[in-house]
Amino acid sequence: MKEGFRQAMAWLHTWTGLIFGWLLFAIFLTGTLAYFKEEISHWAKPEVNSHPLDAERSLAMAQRYLEANAGTSSNWLIRLPSEREPALSVGWRDPQGQGRRGFVRKELDAASGAEVQARESRGGDFFYRFHFELQMPYPWGRWLASCCAFVMLLGLVTGIITHKKIFKEFFTFRPGKGQRSWLDGHNAIGVLALPFHLMISYSSLVIFMYMVMPAGILASYGNSGGYFDELFGRDEVPEAAGERVPLVPLPQLYAKVQQQAPGARMGFIQVYNPGDRNARVSLARAAADSVAYKRSANWTFDGTSGALLTQGAPESAAMMTAFTFVGLHMGNFAGPGLRWLYFVFGIAGTAVIGTGLVMWLGKRQLKHAKSAHMPGELRLVEVLNIASMSGLLLGVAAFFWANRLLPPALEGRDGWEIDSFFTLWALALLHAALRPGRRAWGEQLALGALAFGLLPLLNALTTGQGLNHSLAVGDWAMAGFDLTALGTGLFLAWAAGKMLRAPKVVAKRAAKGDKRTALEAQ
Amino acid sequence: MLAFALIGFAGFASLCLAMEKHFNELLKRKPTAVQRKALRVAGWALLLVSLLLAVQVRGLALGLVEWVAVLMAGVTLWVFGLPYQPRLLLAAAAASCVLGPLLAVLAL
Amino acid sequence: MNRKAAGLPLSYRLAVASRCLAACGGGYVLAAQVSVSGALLLPMAQVDAALTGMLLSFVFLLLAFIWCFACSNAWRAWAGVLLPSLALGLVNGLVYWMKTP
Repeated sequence: MKEGFRQAMAWLHTWTGLIFGWLLFAIFLTGTLAYFKEEISHWAKPEVNSHPLDAERSLAMAQRYLEANAGTSSNWLIRLPSEREPALSVGWRDPQGQGRRGFVRKELDAASGAEVQARESRGGDFFYRFHFELQMPYPWGRWLASCCAFVMLLGLVTGIITHKKIFKEFFTFRPGKGQRSWLDGHNAIGVLALPFHLMISYSSLVIFMYMVMPAGILASYGNSGGYFDELFGRDEVPEAAGERVPLVPLPQLYAKVQQQAPGARMGFIQVYNPGDRNARVSLARAAADSVAYKRSANWTFDGTSGALLTQGAPESAAMMTAFTFVGLHMGNFAGPGLRWLYFVFGIAGTAVIGTGLVMWLGKRQLKHAKSAHMPGELRLVEVLNIASMSGLLLGVAAFFWANRLLPPALEGRDGWEIDSFFTLWALALLHAALRPGRRAWGEQLALGALAFGLLPLLNALTTGQGLNHSLAVGDWAMAGFDLTALGTGLFLAWAAGKMLRAPKVVAKRAAKGDKRTALEAQ
Repeated sequence: MLAFALIGFAGFASLCLAMEKHFNELLKRKPTAVQRKALRVAGWALLLVSLLLAVQVRGLALGLVEWVAVLMAGVTLWVFGLPYQPRLLLAAAAASCVLGPLLAVLAL
Repeated sequence: MNRKAAGLPLSYRLAVASRCLAACGGGYVLAAQVSVSGALLLPMAQVDAALTGMLLSFVFLLLAFIWCFACSNAWRAWAGVLLPSLALGLVNGLVYWMKTP
């Protein structure tokens, strides 16, 4: 660590990358899947039907349903169907305190207004939640994920410092040369998608900064309540008056918002004290409508007269900065094309981490290439590499298989899906520990290839909504999922083929490549 | 989106060719100083044009985001495709020089 | 970097551990002090100052990490994060005391 600045940064890059790499890989992969959260949920709940969008009709339907089923609740929540979410979702605070945190949620069919009888599944939401909560209790998962985000940011900065020929080798990738190619690939993906990598890791910190860096808020406000009130510009909601007055028809309020902001799509619609004289209705514009989160795109109405009371306050420059980072991270504004690019860059980030882990081991394995067995710590890294990369892919596949194979009426079905994810991941760890490294890679990748490659077939057999159906009716979310699974299967088959075939040639090439790297390093 | 993506792609291809090593490998001859300079200027100019086009068509916020996204995607394709299909990519870059502006004009 | 598990002297290992601690603990304290300074001292609306302080604090956390592993010995690592933290802490304490009646 004393050989100079660049060496010190290389050391830091190497070791933080190793220690956090496995977890970061899982966070990046599941986070990438979360860009298609709604589409995955659509695949996971094939019973939910898509219908042409009609906001006013949906809103009237939601109001009818809530008045019939939650008339005494203090708070309703409505989310209209969108291009990506076919169902109309409603929620309400249950006076008896049932449901998750006292909040009951239901999904309605957008055409009939009847409750959707869909299989219980967390769908894409599972991957979304996992990528920042890591299935740990609040707040530990978020803290750990934030630490990982910081390490990623640190890894990027130290990586740039270490990789001195960043501009000279900007366009360089030399395949087929063992370690050299891995390093080229690692550098090229890291540098070429650097804006994305920097944005995604810094914005993760911005999203959770009130949790991980609360000192400023505490010193200035004493507690976070005042800070959030000012940040989001929340209005005081009056207490219920206890006098029943019918709620204004919600489509009317929607029409008023459309006059103010033509073409605006709606996100959350909240109703406070429905059916009371002090009813309040707030409509927030969908996050899909702008890059940055906008607190100003929010309209609050008197729920009995239908008069517009307040509109969200404009954002300051500092808020716009923070909200833009948040918006960029979530990517809610992205249309299909940009969403696919988000997905590709997410995969790129995952690949940067994966190649880094592989290189750490490859470099050190070469030194022990001649001896009969590897030192224990290298073997440990190898096992964890295999389990965290190919093992995780198997876990993801297991989640989807469980979704199609578990009986739809099974009690606690969504929990079983998650259990299958973790069970297969754990089994992959066991398998990696028992089999020699290269074989373990090959076998897990081959199994993954089968599992992903056969998903479209499984989907077609169990739901009758296979590619022949989804392509014919233009259900692109369903078809896109199946095709992506197929593509993943093919890629894994290719990788498995490489791993299971002729290891010697590659090893020799790797040795040559490493010698050259060593020479260059001198 | 496609119009400024193609122009940006051509811009990066041009910047890549402006480097002696890549010019040698791709075109099998040595570039003259004038050629390199011209390629570099053309590359930056194309990137600038694609940026202006993106902001013009998509607005400042979305335009900037999409511009950065398609540029990253294009240059990644270029770098990882180059060792395998150099001629195809050169042809694609040349084609996008024509196709990009054409699409932009058609969209007006 | 040529880490031979047995070949590294204990003092080196302790120095590395000390630097890690300085970076995580000391770096965090420094970043937190920056966020407090931002929240209390920046001439903006209260919420903007708090926001800007937090947004900047991560840059300082990053710099603290780089410093802790780049400087020539572990003592300097500690000094590099603790002295600025102490200075900022004093200023912050003074301002906080003046603002709270």
